[in-house]
Amino acid sequence: MKSLRLLVLTVLLLASCSTLPVIHPAAPRPEVKFPACPVCPSPFLKTPHRLVHIIEVRVAGKAQGAVIGVTLIHPSAQFVSCAIMTAEGITLFEAEATPGLKIIRALPPFDSRDFARNMIEDIKLIFLAPEGQVAAKGILADGAAICRWQTTSAEFVDVVAGPQETFEITRYAASGRRQRRIKLKHGADNFYQHIELTAQDAFDYSLFMTLVESEPVKSEPQTNNRGLQDNEKNCGR
Amino acid sequence: MHKKLLILFFLLSFLLRPCVALANGFEQLRRNSAGIKTVQARFVQKKSMKILAKPLISEGRFFYASPDSFRWEYLKPLRSVVLSGKGVTKRYIISGGKMAEDKSGGVKAMGIVLGEITNWMSGKFDQNPSFKTALQEGRNTLITLTPVEQHMAGMIEKIEISVVRKTMVVKSVKIIEDKNTATLINFSNVEINKSINASIFQDVE
Repeated sequence: MKSLRLLVLTVLLLASCSTLPVIHPAAPRPEVKFPACPVCPSPFLKTPHRLVHIIEVRVAGKAQGAVIGVTLIHPSAQFVSCAIMTAEGITLFEAEATPGLKIIRALPPFDSRDFARNMIEDIKLIFLAPEGQVAAKGILADGAAICRWQTTSAEFVDVVAGPQETFEITRYAASGRRQRRIKLKHGADNFYQHIELTAQDAFDYSLFMTLVESEPVKSEPQTNNRGLQDNEKNCGR
Repeated sequence: MHKKLLILFFLLSFLLRPCVALANGFEQLRRNSAGIKTVQARFVQKKSMKILAKPLISEGRFFYASPDSFRWEYLKPLRSVVLSGKGVTKRYIISGGKMAEDKSGGVKAMGIVLGEITNWMSGKFDQNPSFKTALQEGRNTLITLTPVEQHMAGMIEKIEISVVRKTMVVKSVKIIEDKNTATLINFSNVEINKSINASIFQDVE
């Protein structure tokens, strides 16, 4: 009876992780397209930056509109500040995570706490190295270098270095279900020239982000005094 | 008793004087703008926010034809066009290299905001009951609109419109959301009553 339970449990565990790609050891192989990376691929920001993107939103493949997104990141402090505005300059949403989530302004349809939490999580996933430990490192079947992090909330984040300075970041739930896929394409200055985010959530959506301007930031993060401070210690779900 | 009435009369006339002057001021603005049939202009918009070290600059163009047609177009960084006429407002936004109609709920609100700016361009500054208006004369006339409704007060603190006194042309519009956030739109190359092709208010491209 005990062995049957163990078998069922093992099958369930294997099934739950079935969507995670298989990682092979990074031994030099002549047939691989790209040489194995000696360190984990890291397209993430290492110094404070402010970035402005045009963000095009698509739901089920159909264009829903476009907005201007401003992101301020201080990687060492895990500080994230962001704003969404219309072309006409109307601020629809403004929030920051210090790391506690503080919503400064949120107009409909951006006025739910879940939206704010997911938005900050997406920004962190794009720009900041995953929090947690490297669970596996190697290459994929096509030879692309990969590192798999297991985050503190038991999710998995795969960071893959592709050809021509492209990167792919994929977040999986603890069950192995894919939640986010991010594709980064290197531009003149950084990896954030073109960002494509695909979300498999309550409803599927895609964000296509094109860099307008990017600049390093020297000053320390200044928190906004407005808005409501969340009691949560961090933005994690 | 007679003396008291006299004091009250002087007091009332002193208190009412600015209101009368204000109403006259707006009436004068309306009269001076009555001859405006079309307006076209370029604009530069500077958005200031705490998160931005320097203002985010957008550029665009604007067309108005009496009584209610307007085209408000951003050329960069995010191309978008709002077309309005006969009570219908549509917003188009660049998507995959083409202009696509924006079906989001914000279009109506955007139409109201831009329609309001259109009213100002044609001298109608005190038509919206949602705002309390104040007028300050100087080299340029400064009109300040303050929201009276609570829900709008949370979005916009005040709007300042600067009008060139001599020509009655709106020089700039400043929308102040709060002490850290403001949008300044400076108009240039303003042309009044120059013929505008009807397609400007119909065709997106």
